[in-house]
Amino acid sequence: MRAFLVALVLLVLAAGGAAAQSGERVLAATLENGLRVLLQEDHRSPIVSFQMWYRVGSRNEARGATGIAHFLEHMMFKGTPTHGQGQFARLVEQNGGQDNAFTSQDVTSYYVNIAADRIDLVIELESDRMHNLKLDAKDIASEREVVIEERRTRTEDDPGGFLGEEVSSIAFRSHPYGAPIIGFMEDIKRITPEEIRAFYKTYYMPSNAILVAVGDFKAPEVLAKIRAKFGKIPRGATPPPVLAVEPPQNGERRVVVAKQAQLPIVYVGYHVPNQTSADAFPLEMLSTILSEGRASRLYKRLVYERQLALEAGGDYNYFSQDPNLFWFWATPMPGQTAEAMEKALLAEMETLKKEPVTDEELQRAKNQVEATFVFQEDSVHRRAALLARFELIGVYADKDRFLERLRAVTAADVQRVARAYFADDRKNVGVLLPRP
Amino acid sequence: MGARVLKVARAVDWVMRLRRPAAVLVVLTLLLALPAGAAGPIAHREVLPNGIVLLVAERPAVPIVVVRTFAHAGAVLDPPDRAGLANLTGALLTRGTAKHTGPQLDSAIEFVGGSLSAGAGRDGLGASLAVLKKDLGLGLDLLAEVLLTPTFPPDELKRKVAQIQAAIKRSEEDPGTVAGRALARLVFPRHPYGVPVEGTIESVGKLTRDDVVRFHGGHVRPDTTVVAVVGAITVDDARREVLARLGGWKAPAEPPASVPTVAAGGPPQTETIEKDLTQATIVLGRQAIRQTDPDYFPLTVASYVLGGGSASRLYSRVREEGGLAYAVYSHVSPAKYGASFSVSAQTRTAEVPKVIEIMREELARMTRDPVTERELKLAKDYLIGSFPLRLDTSAKVADFVVAVEEQGLGLDYADRYKERVAKVTAADVQRVAAKYFAPDSFNRVVVGAPPKP
Repeated sequence: MRAFLVALVLLVLAAGGAAAQSGERVLAATLENGLRVLLQEDHRSPIVSFQMWYRVGSRNEARGATGIAHFLEHMMFKGTPTHGQGQFARLVEQNGGQDNAFTSQDVTSYYVNIAADRIDLVIELESDRMHNLKLDAKDIASEREVVIEERRTRTEDDPGGFLGEEVSSIAFRSHPYGAPIIGFMEDIKRITPEEIRAFYKTYYMPSNAILVAVGDFKAPEVLAKIRAKFGKIPRGATPPPVLAVEPPQNGERRVVVAKQAQLPIVYVGYHVPNQTSADAFPLEMLSTILSEGRASRLYKRLVYERQLALEAGGDYNYFSQDPNLFWFWATPMPGQTAEAMEKALLAEMETLKKEPVTDEELQRAKNQVEATFVFQEDSVHRRAALLARFELIGVYADKDRFLERLRAVTAADVQRVARAYFADDRKNVGVLLPRP
Repeated sequence: MGARVLKVARAVDWVMRLRRPAAVLVVLTLLLALPAGAAGPIAHREVLPNGIVLLVAERPAVPIVVVRTFAHAGAVLDPPDRAGLANLTGALLTRGTAKHTGPQLDSAIEFVGGSLSAGAGRDGLGASLAVLKKDLGLGLDLLAEVLLTPTFPPDELKRKVAQIQAAIKRSEEDPGTVAGRALARLVFPRHPYGVPVEGTIESVGKLTRDDVVRFHGGHVRPDTTVVAVVGAITVDDARREVLARLGGWKAPAEPPASVPTVAAGGPPQTETIEKDLTQATIVLGRQAIRQTDPDYFPLTVASYVLGGGSASRLYSRVREEGGLAYAVYSHVSPAKYGASFSVSAQTRTAEVPKVIEIMREELARMTRDPVTERELKLAKDYLIGSFPLRLDTSAKVADFVVAVEEQGLGLDYADRYKERVAKVTAADVQRVAAKYFAPDSFNRVVVGAPPKP
C-alpha cells in the first residue's frame, strides 16, 4: 500500500509484467512420487530461475500455532546432515546465485536465480532440504528471535501492517485467513521444535510441491536430473485438507486502532469469491480499473482531483486458494479526517454500483493487463513464478485462457460484481487513528 | 492476475520474505551499486550533435522497449534555501506539457499499457518510459514533450507540493527513512548530499513556479543528458527515433553548473531520535570512496565480507547466532560527487548496546586481521559470478548503462570491475579496512524508544 511513497530513488520502472503465450513451450511432468515439474527453456541469458513452491501457508495453520509455516521457511536455510548450518546460502553465493523465500497465506516459495551451468547444485540442495532438514532445537531457538524481530518490523512498528492484521482478524472468524502470516507474537514465542518437525513432515513432500525452472538449459536433460534426485524421495501421506469455511457475516464489522503514526489509514475489506467463480474475472478487471496507474479511478478521483488522499487503491487476489477479501485502502492527506476519507471511498463504491465503468476505463485496463503479460516475459524469474501461480490454482496452461476470459469482461459484469459484493454484509472496516 | 496481481502495491503484506534487500534501510543511495563484470561492450554509445549521449542495447527477444533519460539536474543543484527543487521539478514534468495536460498524458500512455514517469535523485533528473514495441513512437513523443516543453501549471504545482509535503510527513513513520536522513546530514555536513532530495516540509512550501521554470531551463539540457534505449530495437532505429524528437533540443548559452565534490566530514557524531517503537534502527556511517578510486574494489570486497550477504560476519553473528535482528547489512553507496559506507541493523530496544558493540567489534576486526582465504574467495566469487543476474532484464540493463555513463566510468567498466575484484587480496582488504572501518570514525544514528532502566 505504500505505492506512492516519495521516490527517493531516481528511476522507477512502473510496469509489472506477466508472461504471454510466446516463447518455448513448457515441459510438464509429474514424477511417480507426485512432484509436479514445469520446465521452460529460455536461452536469452545464461541464467536460470529455479523455484520450489510448496502448497502450504498460514492457511494450513491451527489456532495457537500461527506463524509456523513462515517459521519453518526460515528453518529451511538452517541445514541438513549433508549441508550443514549456513551451507545453503554459502554455496549459492559462491556460485554467484541469489536466493530468497517467502510465505503467503496459501504457499511457501523458495527460489534461486543462478548461472544456468550451476543448476545441478540447486537440484542437489533443494532435493536435500525437501526431505532431510535437521530442525535442530538450538537453531530453532535462535531463529525464533529473528522471526520475532521480523514481526516487530512488519507489524508492531508499522501502522499499516498492524491495521491490516486487525482487519483480517475481524473479517475471518472461522477461516485461518484471519490470522497473520507471520503469526501472533505469543505463538511465535511458544511454538515447539516438535511442532515444527511435525509440520515439516506433514507438508514438505514431493506430492505437495511444484518445481518450476525457466532458463538456459535443455529441458529433457534437466528433467532427468530432477528425476534422479527428487525421484528417490517418498511420496508421503496426503496433507489434511483445509476444511474451514467462513460463515456469512451480518452487517458491517469495524475496528479502530490508535497508534503512533503521522497520518490516518483506512482499510475496507469485502468478502468476495476466489478464482473458482466466474466473477473473479470482473473483480480482477475492477481492481485494475481502480488502481493501476495515475489514470486509474481511485488515484484520479481521490488523489488527483479531490486531493483527499495521499494514496488510494483497491486490490483483489485472484490466486487465493479460498475466498478472500477485496481490499480498499486510502491514506488521507494531512488535514483530512479518516471519517471523510472513508466516506469518499464508500461513495466511489456506490458510484461503481450505480454507473457502469466507461468504455475507456475498461479498454485501458484490458490493454494494461495484456501489456503486463508481455513485460513479464522479460524476466525468467517472473516467467517461472507465473507458471507456478497458475499451476497452484489449476494448471499452468490456464494462464493463456486467463487473458481470454479477461478480454470478455463487460462494463455490465463489473457493475454486477460491485453490486453483489460491495455490501454491508460483507464489509470489514479498519481505521488507524494516529497517536502523537 | 491481471496487472494488479503482479504488483507489489497492496493493502496488506501478502508475503513474508526471508531476507530483505540491504538497500531498504539505507537512504543514502541514489543509483544502484555497480554490478560485476561483463564480457564485451554492453551498449552502443554515441554523442548526438547537440551533446546527448545515446546508449543503445539491443534485446530483441521480447517486444518491449525501455527508455531512461538522465540529466545532471539532481538535488545537488538545489540552491541552499531551495531544498527539494530538483525533486519538485522532476515530479512536475509529467503534469502538463505544451500539448497535453497531466491527466491527458496519464491516459495516453496508460491506455497502451505503458508507463511514463519522471523524477529527480541526488545527482540527476530523468524520465523513464516502458512500452510495447508497437507503441514506441507514442511513448517517445510523450517523453520528448515531458523533457522539452513542460508547462508547470500553477494548480499542478500546488497539488504536487501538498503531496510531497504529505509524503514527507508520512515518511516520519518509517524508522529506516528517518535514520537515513539523519545519517546523511552527519556524513555530508557541508554538501547537498546531506540534505534530503525531497527537501523538508518547510523548504518545499516555499518553492515557486519561477524556481521550477528556472531550474528546468538552466539544468535540464541536452549537453548533460544521457538517453538509454534498451529492448527490441536496433541502434539505427533508436538513433533515428531519438534524433527526430530530441535532435532539435538546444543547450542554453551558459555552461552547465558545476558541483563541488564532498568535503571531508566533520568529527563523527552520535544522534538519537526517540520514537515510540518496539525496535530500534541503528545506522553507522561515514564517507567512503567512489569507483574511480582504486581502493573502491577492495572496499567492496571488505563490505561484502563484513555484511554483504547471508554468509557475512555481521549476518552470522547478529542474525544467525545472536537472533538479534531480522535485517543487518553493510553497504557502500557511491554517487557522482562522493560516497558513503554504512552498517545498519534493526533490533529490540534492550539489545541496542549489544548490537552496536558487535558492529564495532566486527569493524575493528576487519582492520586488525586479514580476512580468511575462504571469505575472500566467497566474496569475489559472488561479486563476479552474480553478474549475469544483474543484467537480465531490459530495465536493469538501462539502469546499469545510465549509471556507468553518468558516473563517468566508461562502458568497459563492467569488465574492469571483474578484473579488479579478481585481483583483490586479503592484504588489500585489510589495508582498505584500516582506512575506512575504524569504529571511532563512524557517525551513529539510533531511532527508537529509549532503553528502559
